[in-house]
Amino acid sequence: MITVTINGKDIKLEKPVTILEAARTAGIEIPTLCYHESLELYGGCRLCLVEVEKMPKLQTACTLYVTDGMVVRTESEQIADARRGILEFLLINHPLDCPYCDKAGECDLQDLVEKYGPTAGRFAEGKRKHPESFDDPIIVRNMERCVMCTRCVRMCDGVQGDSAIAVTNRGSHSFIEPFSGGRYNCEYCGNCLTVCPVGAIMSRLHRHSYRAWLVETEVNTVCSYCGVGCSMVIQVRNNSINRVVPRFGLGINNGLLCVRGRFGYDYVGNEQRIKSPLVKKGGKLEPVTWNEAFNTVADRLKALRERYGGSALAGIASGRCTNEENYVFQKLMRCGLGTNNIDSSARLGYSGAQRYLENIFGQGVTANPIYGIANSEAILIVGGDPTAINPILGLQIRTASRNGARVITIGYAPGLERFNSIGLKPRIFTEGILLSGILCEILKIKPFTGENQTLESVIKGLSLRPAREIAEICRLAEDDIRKAAEAICNVSSISIVIGQDIIQRSNGNRNLFMLSSIGYMLNARMTLLSERPNEQGTIDMGCLPDMLPGGRPLEIETFRKRYEGLAGTEIPSGPGLTLMEMVEAAEAGQIKAMYIMGENPVFNLPDSNAVKKALGSLEFLVVQDIFLSETAKIADVVLPALAWSEKEGTYTNLERRMQHVRRAVDIQGMEDWRIISEIGKRLEVSMPYNSSEDIMAEMVRVSPLHTGLTYEDVDKGNALWPYKGEPLRAEMPSLSLSDENIIADKGKLYLMVRRPLFHSGTLSRRSYALNNICSEPYLRISRAVAERLSVKDGDVLKVSTVKGSLQVKTKVDISLNDSAVLLTNNFEGMGAFSLLGYKLDPVTKAPGIEGTEVTIEKGKPR
Amino acid sequence: METILLKNIENPNSADIDEYIKAGGYRSLQKAIEMQPKAIIDEVKKSGLRGRGGAGFPTGMKWTFASSDPKTPRYLLCNADEGEPGTFKDRPILEKNPHLLIEGMAIAGYAIGAEYGYIYLRGEYPGAKDILDTAIRQAYDRGLLGDNILGRAVRFHLSVHQGAGAYICGEETALIESLEGERGQPRIKPPFPVNVGAWSKPTVINNVETLSNIPYIIETGAEAYSKIGSRDCPGPKLYCVSGHVERPGVYELPMGINLRDIIYTHAGGIRGGEKLKAVIPGGVSTPILPPDKIDCPMDFVNMPKHGSMLGSGAVMVFDDTVCLVKVCYRALRFFDHESCGKCTPCREGTGWLSNILGRIEHGKGRDGDIELLLDVAGNMLGKTFCPLGDGAASVVQNFIRHFRPEFEGHIRDAGCRLQN
Repeated sequence: MITVTINGKDIKLEKPVTILEAARTAGIEIPTLCYHESLELYGGCRLCLVEVEKMPKLQTACTLYVTDGMVVRTESEQIADARRGILEFLLINHPLDCPYCDKAGECDLQDLVEKYGPTAGRFAEGKRKHPESFDDPIIVRNMERCVMCTRCVRMCDGVQGDSAIAVTNRGSHSFIEPFSGGRYNCEYCGNCLTVCPVGAIMSRLHRHSYRAWLVETEVNTVCSYCGVGCSMVIQVRNNSINRVVPRFGLGINNGLLCVRGRFGYDYVGNEQRIKSPLVKKGGKLEPVTWNEAFNTVADRLKALRERYGGSALAGIASGRCTNEENYVFQKLMRCGLGTNNIDSSARLGYSGAQRYLENIFGQGVTANPIYGIANSEAILIVGGDPTAINPILGLQIRTASRNGARVITIGYAPGLERFNSIGLKPRIFTEGILLSGILCEILKIKPFTGENQTLESVIKGLSLRPAREIAEICRLAEDDIRKAAEAICNVSSISIVIGQDIIQRSNGNRNLFMLSSIGYMLNARMTLLSERPNEQGTIDMGCLPDMLPGGRPLEIETFRKRYEGLAGTEIPSGPGLTLMEMVEAAEAGQIKAMYIMGENPVFNLPDSNAVKKALGSLEFLVVQDIFLSETAKIADVVLPALAWSEKEGTYTNLERRMQHVRRAVDIQGMEDWRIISEIGKRLEVSMPYNSSEDIMAEMVRVSPLHTGLTYEDVDKGNALWPYKGEPLRAEMPSLSLSDENIIADKGKLYLMVRRPLFHSGTLSRRSYALNNICSEPYLRISRAVAERLSVKDGDVLKVSTVKGSLQVKTKVDISLNDSAVLLTNNFEGMGAFSLLGYKLDPVTKAPGIEGTEVTIEKGKPR
Repeated sequence: METILLKNIENPNSADIDEYIKAGGYRSLQKAIEMQPKAIIDEVKKSGLRGRGGAGFPTGMKWTFASSDPKTPRYLLCNADEGEPGTFKDRPILEKNPHLLIEGMAIAGYAIGAEYGYIYLRGEYPGAKDILDTAIRQAYDRGLLGDNILGRAVRFHLSVHQGAGAYICGEETALIESLEGERGQPRIKPPFPVNVGAWSKPTVINNVETLSNIPYIIETGAEAYSKIGSRDCPGPKLYCVSGHVERPGVYELPMGINLRDIIYTHAGGIRGGEKLKAVIPGGVSTPILPPDKIDCPMDFVNMPKHGSMLGSGAVMVFDDTVCLVKVCYRALRFFDHESCGKCTPCREGTGWLSNILGRIEHGKGRDGDIELLLDVAGNMLGKTFCPLGDGAASVVQNFIRHFRPEFEGHIRDAGCRLQN
C-alpha cells in the first residue's frame, strides 16, 4: 500500500501510479494538454508541473510515479507562475483567433488561459505563419493553433495503428502533416480530431455551423453502420445533427470511431430521402396518403394470400432496423400473412454461419466480448479484413498485436499486414484446404479431450492431407503452415475471427467445419464479422424461416404452440424459404408477393440483374426504406421509414450485446414498426403498440432469451447474451460436410467482392462525407496483373463475366492474390454483385460466389 | 605527462591496426577477456572514471546497473554525436586513434554482457565514418570483433550509425530514438537506458572519451589510473581550446588542471597579447566566466563551486574585440535551431530569446528587454523536458549576470560599439 499526500489529502493506492492519476482518483484536477489516458505518455506540454517535497525542481505530474510518503502540492504561486509562463509560450505564436475558431468553448487552451493567464502579450515579433490547409475534403489543419501536444500523432500511431501523420520539421518550426502531404491518405477514422485539445485539426463537415455552447441536446446512441455497435453522442441543434462524437469511457469503442461512424451520419439529412408514401399507378410511383398506402398494401396482400396461400408471400427483414421492428415484421409475416418465408441479408453469411457453429458448440458460441480479442495471445483471422468490415474490432486485433499476441491472417487482410506475425495468402479459393492443413498439424500437437464425441468422430473420419501436400495445393511454404499451427497451439487464450469471404462459398460449411474443429481443439473464442448493426437482432427476433423469436426452432411443436398461444393465431408449421431461395422462387413464379423492409436486394444480392428480374415479376412488391433504392424503384408500394437517428429501439451487436438506439431528431414520418403495425391492424393482427418499448414488453414475453428484459436493463449494460433469458440446450445434430472444391486457376482471373472501409452501400453512398473520401469504385488488381495488362492506377478497365460487364477505374493492390480481382458492391450501377453468379451452400444457404471467371481489358476513358 | 588518449597520434598511420598493435594496442582486450566481467566492472568502478560526455556520471555504476538487469540482449552505445558548440575533443580519437575506442568498446561490451555495439557518429564527421568503418573491418579481420573474439566464446559486434545533424541526438535517450529510426526526441526518464534503452533493452551509453579510457584502466589497473588527475575525478581529460589563443587545439591534460594554465601555459595565452574578456569553459551550454574567475580546477566536482561546469571540456576564449551580445545571440540562434520541439518552454522559449537578442544586437533593443530576457529565461529554466532548454536559458542568464553593461550599452546606443 502506498500513501501519497496531495494538497494535504492522504491518498492510499494499491500500486504506483503517476501523480496525475493519483490526484484524479482523489478528484484533484491538474491541468494538462499533452496527456491523454488512452495514449502513450509524452510529458511535452509541461502544464502539469507540481511541487514535490524534497525535489528541487517542479515535476511533471503526468510522468512521475508516486512513491510511499511522497508529498505533492498541485497549486501554489510558484506553480501558477510556471503554468502562466508555459501558456504564454503557447500563445506567442498562436493566432488568437478564438472569435471564429470552431473549438472556442471547448478548447483546453482557452480554458487554461482563462484560469492561469497571461492576460496580456509581451511577444513583439511577428508570429509564425502557417496557412490553414484545406487540401483535404474532410479534415482541415490549422497549424498556427497547434500546441504540439502530438496527441493526434500518438493516436494515429499507437492506437489506430495507421501511422498516417507525423511531426514534420524541428523546434518551433514543427508542424503536423500527413505523410501523403496535404490530402490525407489514411483510414479517416478521425480519432485525431477527438484528441486534439485545440482547434488545430478539425472537421470541415460542421465548420462554422455551430458553437460548442449552442448545442441544444446531446443524445447517447449507437452507430448505424456495422455490427460492432459503437457508442456515440449525437449533438443536435435546430432539430438537425451538428456532429457525432465518441466519448472516452463510453461503450465498447471507448472514445474511438471509424470513418463510417464518425463522418457517415449525414446520409440521414440527404435530400433524396423519400418524403411520402408512393403507390404505383399506371406504371409510375405516385405520392399518396399514408392511409391509402396502408390500405393498398393490406388489401393486396390479403387478396394474394387468399388466392395463393401464405406460402406465396415472403418478407425480407433488415439488419439495419431495430430489434423491435424486426420483431413486429416477423409477427406480421407469420401471424398476418401466414408464412414462414422470412429472412434477411444476414443470410449472406452471418446467420448461416452462426447456426452452423451453434449446432456444434451450442447457442451463444459467438457471443464473445470484443475486448477479449485485445487480450488474446493468438488470433486467427480468416475470410475478411476486420479493420475494414468492423473497424473498431479490427483495432482490438492491432492492440493485441502490439501487446505481443501472435496474429495469423489467412487471405486478403491489408489492414493487418503490419500487425500480423504470419500472413498466409493461399492460392485463390483454397483457404479451407489450408485450414484443414492447419488442423492436421494441430492434431499432431493437441490430444482429443472427448468432450464432443460426435465432432471428434467426424474429425477422426477426415482424410487430412499432410502439410507438404497442402503447401503444394495452396502454394505456400510448408514451414509457414506448421508455424501457424504451432503459434496458435502454444498459447492459452485464442480468438478466431471469421469473415464472410470464407462463408460465401458453395462449400462454405466445410470451411466452417475446419474452423470449428480448430476452435474445438484449441478451446478458442469465435467471432463472426458482421456488416450491419443488427444482423444478430434479425436472428434473435426470429426473422428466420425456421426460427421463432429467441432462437427457438419452429419445427418443435411446444415452441410453436407457445408462440401461437401468445399471438392468438396459428402459424404454418413447416419452415419457410431462405433469402436466395425466395428470390429463386419468385423467379419460378412460386412467390407472388414480397414485403421488403430496409433492404435493397436488387443491389445487395449476388447475380443482382437476375434478382431484379425476379422481383420485377412479382405480382406485388412492397418496399419500406428511407431512400428510393434500386429495389424501391421497381416496387408497387414504397413506404418511407425513419432513419436510425430518428427513432427509438435496440440493436444487438455481433457480441450479442443489446444497446439502446435513441431518437435524436424529430422528422415527419413513421418508424418501421409503426408502419407495419398499421398494416398489421388492417390484417387483424394484434399490434397495440404506442412506442418501441411496448414492443419490447411483448417481445420479452414471447422470446425465452429475453425474459423480463427492459430498456432500463439495456441502458445499464445488462443486456448481454443471453439477455436475462435461457438459451436452448439441444443435442448436436449429425454433421454433413460438403466436399473439397479446388478451382483450377491456371492463368485465369476470378472476381471477388471487396468489403471496403469507406462505404457500406445504400446508406454510405448518400453520405456527402464518405463520397468525398471515396467517390468511386476501383477494380483492385495485383501487381502482376497490372504488369501483364500494362495498366496503372486510374486506368479504366472493362470487366466482364458471364453475367455482364462494366467499366471501372483500376488500382494496383500489392496485398492481392494474382488470380483475384476485387470490386466493391457499394456504388450505383457499379456493383460487383451484378457480375457475380452464385451457388447455394446446402447447409448455411449462403450464396457461394466463388469461381466467377472474369476478363479484363483496357476500356475507353469515361 | 604520458599521453593515454592521444597516444601515438603524431604517427601519420596511427589509425591503422598494425600501428596500434605495435604501440601495445589490444593487449588490454586480451587481458580483459581472461577476467570475469564483474571483475572488469569492479576495476572500472575502483578507477573512479566518470563519464566524459558532460554529466560526469560514474561509469562503473552505469555498467553495474545495466549488467544486473536480466533482460537480454543488452546494447552498448558509443555517443560520438559531438555537437556541443566549441567541442572537438573526440574527433582526434575517432580519426586518429579509432582502435583505442574499438578496444574500449569490446572490453565494455564483454563486461556488461552486450553482444552488439553501435557508434552513433555525428553526421558532420564523414571523414571519421570512413576511418571507423575501416578500423572496424580490420578488427573483425583480426578476430578482435565478431562471434569469437580472440578465439574465445566472446561475442561483440560493432557498427557505425551516422546521425543526421541534430544536436539533440547527443542527449542519450534522443540518441536511442534516432538509432531506432524514430524522430530524435528525448524520452521520459525514468526508466533510464540502463534498464530500458535501445529497443527497450538494457543499454549503456558512454562517450567516446570515456570508452577510450578503458584499455588503460585494464592494462595498468585502477590504482595507477586513479592517481592521475583530481582525487574525486581521476584520469586524463581532453580539453579542446578554441578562440583567441595562440595555440588552439586539443590537449590531453590531467583532470582538474587549472583553467588559467590551460589557456596561458598550454594554449600559449591570448592571441596577439590582447586582453582576455571571457571564457566559456565547457561548451556553449556551460556558464561563461569573466577573466577574474578563471582560476579554477577543471573537473566535474570543482567547476560548479566556481560558478560554471566542466561540460565537455570545450574551452572557448574571447578577447577584448568580441561582442558578447553577439556571442549570446549566436548561441541562442543555435539553441533555437536545435530545439527538438518536444516541450513547450524550449520550443517556444529559445526562439523568443533569440528574437529579443537579435533585435538588441541589431540596434533595435528596447527598455525592459533585459528584464524580459531574464523573465523568459526564468520561465524556461527548470521546466524543460531535457537539459537543452535549461542550457539555453542559463546562457542568457549568465551572460547578463557577468556582462550586463554590454547589453545595456547595446540598447542605449542602438547597436554595438565594438563593431561600428
